[in-house]
Amino acid sequence: MTVTSVRTGRDLFLLANTVDELGGVTAWTHQMARLFQAAGHRVHVIGVHEAELKLTLPADLGYDVTSLYPAHPPTPRPIRGLARLNPVAHHRETLRLAGRARAVARLTEIFRTARPGAVAVVTQVWPMEWVREADTSGLRIIGMSHESYAYTKACHRYRSVRRNYPSVDRWLALTQEDADDWIADGMHNVGAMPNALAHLPEVPSPRTAKVVCSIGRLADQKGIDMLVDTWARVAPHRPGWTLRIYGAGADEPDLRAQCTRLGLNASVRWMGPTDDVPGALAGSAVFVQSSRGEGFPLALMEAMASAVPCAAFDCAPGVREIVRDGEDGLLAPPGDISALADRLLRLTGNPRMRDAIGERARVNVQRFSEERVLERWEELFALLER
Amino acid sequence: MSTPEVRDMSCVIVCGDDAEALRATVGSVLGQTLAGTEAVLVATGANETAASLAAGDPQRIRLVHAGTGSHGDLLRDLGLAAARGRYVMVAAPGERLERHACRNLLEAALRTDADLVAGRWEKGPGRYKDLYARSRVTEDLADAPELVASDALAAGFCVRRAALGTLSDTGEALFGVRAALAARRIALVPNLIVTGRAPAAPVRDLPRAARVQRATVELLRHDDTLRAAREKTFLTDHVVPCVRAFLPLGPDGRREAAATLAESLRGLVTPEALRTLPPVERVGVRLLADGDADGVRAAAYALARPGTVVSPLVRTGDGRVRWSAEHAGDDTFDVTELGHQYGQFTDLKLLNQVTHCLREGAVLAVGGRVVVPLGLLDHGPVLAARLDLTVRGGGARLYSVPVGDLRKEDGGIVWRAEVPLTGALRPRGIGDRVWDPRLVLTVDGVPVTTELLADKATVPAGATALPARPRLTRLTADTWQPYVTAGHHLAVCLLPRRRPARAAHALLHYVTHFRPARELKPVLRALGKKREALHSKRVKTRVYRRILTRLPVSRGLVVFESHMGKSYGDSPRAVHEELLARGARPRCVWSYATSPAGFPAGARLVRRWSWRYLWALARAEWWVDNQGFPHALDKPRHTRYLQTWHGSAYKRMGFDEPRHATQNAPQRDALARAVGRFDHFMVRSEHDVRTLARAYRIPEEKLLRAGYPRNDRLVAARARDEREGRFPRPAPATELGIPDHRTVVLYAPTFRGLPKDGRTVELPLDVREFAERFGDTHVLLVRAHYMEAASLPATPPGTVIDVSGHHDVQELLVLADVLITDYSSIMFDYALLDRPLVHFAPDLDAYAAERGAYFDLRARAAGPVAETQEELLRTLDGLKEADGEWQAARRAFAAEFGTYDDGGAARAAADLILGVKEPRA
Repeated sequence: MTVTSVRTGRDLFLLANTVDELGGVTAWTHQMARLFQAAGHRVHVIGVHEAELKLTLPADLGYDVTSLYPAHPPTPRPIRGLARLNPVAHHRETLRLAGRARAVARLTEIFRTARPGAVAVVTQVWPMEWVREADTSGLRIIGMSHESYAYTKACHRYRSVRRNYPSVDRWLALTQEDADDWIADGMHNVGAMPNALAHLPEVPSPRTAKVVCSIGRLADQKGIDMLVDTWARVAPHRPGWTLRIYGAGADEPDLRAQCTRLGLNASVRWMGPTDDVPGALAGSAVFVQSSRGEGFPLALMEAMASAVPCAAFDCAPGVREIVRDGEDGLLAPPGDISALADRLLRLTGNPRMRDAIGERARVNVQRFSEERVLERWEELFALLER
Repeated sequence: MSTPEVRDMSCVIVCGDDAEALRATVGSVLGQTLAGTEAVLVATGANETAASLAAGDPQRIRLVHAGTGSHGDLLRDLGLAAARGRYVMVAAPGERLERHACRNLLEAALRTDADLVAGRWEKGPGRYKDLYARSRVTEDLADAPELVASDALAAGFCVRRAALGTLSDTGEALFGVRAALAARRIALVPNLIVTGRAPAAPVRDLPRAARVQRATVELLRHDDTLRAAREKTFLTDHVVPCVRAFLPLGPDGRREAAATLAESLRGLVTPEALRTLPPVERVGVRLLADGDADGVRAAAYALARPGTVVSPLVRTGDGRVRWSAEHAGDDTFDVTELGHQYGQFTDLKLLNQVTHCLREGAVLAVGGRVVVPLGLLDHGPVLAARLDLTVRGGGARLYSVPVGDLRKEDGGIVWRAEVPLTGALRPRGIGDRVWDPRLVLTVDGVPVTTELLADKATVPAGATALPARPRLTRLTADTWQPYVTAGHHLAVCLLPRRRPARAAHALLHYVTHFRPARELKPVLRALGKKREALHSKRVKTRVYRRILTRLPVSRGLVVFESHMGKSYGDSPRAVHEELLARGARPRCVWSYATSPAGFPAGARLVRRWSWRYLWALARAEWWVDNQGFPHALDKPRHTRYLQTWHGSAYKRMGFDEPRHATQNAPQRDALARAVGRFDHFMVRSEHDVRTLARAYRIPEEKLLRAGYPRNDRLVAARARDEREGRFPRPAPATELGIPDHRTVVLYAPTFRGLPKDGRTVELPLDVREFAERFGDTHVLLVRAHYMEAASLPATPPGTVIDVSGHHDVQELLVLADVLITDYSSIMFDYALLDRPLVHFAPDLDAYAAERGAYFDLRARAAGPVAETQEELLRTLDGLKEADGEWQAARRAFAAEFGTYDDGGAARAAADLILGVKEPRA
């Protein structure tokens, strides 16, 4: 009863905004490219343009990498009103369209090399602008959104998703809950696919150091200001405990000032960005995440993989999907500082609870292991061929 | 790709006679994104459409022939037996599968390993929305009882073919229910599966639905909960719509339908299920089961127009009200809940059935019968009546005909009037083409208007038409034609019947519908759009920012707003009144949100967000407001902003609210900018400084420690109480008809946001029980924001009064002897009066946990905290005795939260505005 399908050796195109930008989606793209390649598929990673702030990629990735534009393509600006009399504007528009046609032709050419059963995975919605114009006959197209429904809904990408994704064969939200939201919004070809946990540290954290740690950019979305407010309620009850904040960002001076104002300098350490996340986690007993918005937070999964118990704001379906409240982590209503402080007090005050939650977290988070997620992708490819 | 032997999904379609419908359904199956979908057509006899479809794509369409005369369910089972898919579904001709439906169902089935996967279908009742809101898996039907209790599984689901063998074979029971009972595991998905289902035709479908129901109930006989739920849902989903459908039926159709339906309903209308229905529905269903055609129609009218009395209600010995004398002994017909017994004759909406409408010479003779309930005319009042004809769609024109013949006849009023349409009623002919007659009964000099309900059969078109003589000549129309409206009322319209009028109409129709109009329409539409765009908020905000705010200040101009324009009240009103009392005549402008009703005539009124509003704001010297002028409007340089605020805080506010904390930076900046516009922020106590001022980050120098202007009245009222006592009560008491001997209880719960999706919100307090226990000694004033959606249940007159529309809460506080509230900020104000206060908050802990509270209400309450209705009523009972204990706590509460409320707040605010002196430090 098997469908005649390509089990391995499938041609896979992964499309993203860029192939070499410093950011979560690019990291995800290369992680999946590596996995697919190792599983016997032939992978080609395609970016719309080359990034300015580059990620250092290994010299030989083992798969093809292409960028359609050497730099960010010009943004379309409709010529309206008096600008219609401006020849420069018309010339600019002509150049933009010519560049676009070249990019589309290049994409078509790449797609044409594909053997039957090939799939294009569009990891972000923007490249769809080119994919829709290219010749994709014989190709299955899978779209993706790496944000929660609420986050997309609140920004301009919502319209882009509504415009571009109805035509694809299937597109994937991060969790079933997000997918349900999109379905209720009137989209019919939505599925869900979690991110994969990159690796499981061999030794779990001993959870003996009196350290609470947070890992994330020092940007508004990560809510470090709320974390500092929270710590102001925890620190007086937990002398001897330290809050280590890993990460860098534009908000750092403000946050440090806030910390000084609240008199927390003695118990807060600003650790700067780190390359060694497992190392940072190994030196911690509790992980805290105070974000305003998340997709499918990798840092949370990494903490759980290190068996460090987590306290987090329940700010997105992705967080609820990863952490089962009370079982392998503690969740607080988003923005509720006193509730998050309460969760931290419970975790820091009870070593037995820390151990129980941490060990369970390490086991439970493995349902997002690379093997398991790869299996789900294969199931999806098979479903699209049925 | 080669064709697999086994399909993933088979869709069984039992062919009917409609070729087009069959083509549409098969087309939607072939258009599925899941390529492994096949259609199995079951045809009785020779079906050309099915044969040609099957010939067109033999790989994916298979035809199963059945002998003629086979039964519907049998045909389906034949199709299921022939299916080759791993999963099977059933579709009726005309239903269309959504393009991705099969892929979504299969994906869910593979993911969850479920035997049955169900999703939404179009035109399903609204409550299925909740059932399919989230993807979920259930192994116990108790988690999703609607699946078998209702007809949710009439469409839009698939079943594992391997599980079909285990299905119990119970005649005509719903296939979906049989499958759900047999399934080990059921997956529900929010996806839309089926569209284009034929709309329900309740009367036609009921016999079949009844047969299905009988078999399905038999299937559920071992599970009492599900069976009871199924019996109830059958009444609400099938029988009540049938009752409603009786309204348009004519007398013969009614009788015929009633006879058939009564027969099919035998044994399906159980007393337990009936008891769960609201009164009118209950009576309608019972009457339908009894085969009473006219009774069902009356009930249908009451359902279409809630609050209408449609039967001669009677009062029984035990004070209950029953539908009619005939049913006085039957509890099913108890309609006491409707509260008709509390209304005066003149308040009631009465059924007035037209029994007769015919041309008699040059007049139209109309006769009818008005229902009179509860023997309201037994005391023999003076009766008179007239027939009023008014122009539809406004217009003050009225034509009255006296009703000559009026008499009482077995519990009703029978009337007959002669309307001389041709001779006496002269319409213009344009703009007054439809007239609605209404009967105005005068009982002892008091008029009561009744609408005329008519049957099409009673108003025969040919035998009622009369010549008409419009003032604008007979080119406009020449005939009066009585007819029955879509709402089943009698009306009279003007028609062109003769050649000149018809020609004139044809010409007019050409001008308004053909080329001239077609060319004009887009132009007008474009102009309308341009005009709309010019008045959009975006344009207004830009003009305000770039132009209006640069205009010079208008000295002495003060703009007031209370609760975003919703009322003329609160502190801004107190400040306004103080300014007027001073005799200083600043030019005051008040903003209103929707209607200027209730706002003072003396002030200039501007609608919120109108151009005049923006103009006033841009030029004002002062803004006075208790909540916030639109955030998008910056304060001009020359303006000062007095923010009186609208209440001390119990729940967390501003940046202390998680809602604001989780917003992104630009949104938080917008709030900070809006709050930054305040120049003076009024506070009542240091509690406000610690909570509100901190939460909104208002610096010390902007605080005005003067109390709330709205509370001056409360301080004065307390002084008066101590000096002269509570009586006579203040003015609103007479307005509301409250006698001096009754204790006035004000119930004012917190505003929790308007109910969504038109759902009604129930008050936490059961006012009916209150009326029963305290009706003789107390009067309950209810002030709730969501009253528009939730009307109060009927109670004896004078026991419960809805005061939600009252503009000024403070006036009500002064009137009240006792306040019941939950954790609304009204408690801080009321404490100033030093009168008893009871907290009634069944959800106190949940609310405090969810919204976050600044202090523990239980520990610092100003009165007893009741958690249940019973506790509250007991507390009210013993309030006088217990009040002594609470006095100290109450005074401490008032002192703590109202430290600066000394009666001089409005004065301080007026001083500030008039520039008399600097605010008190």
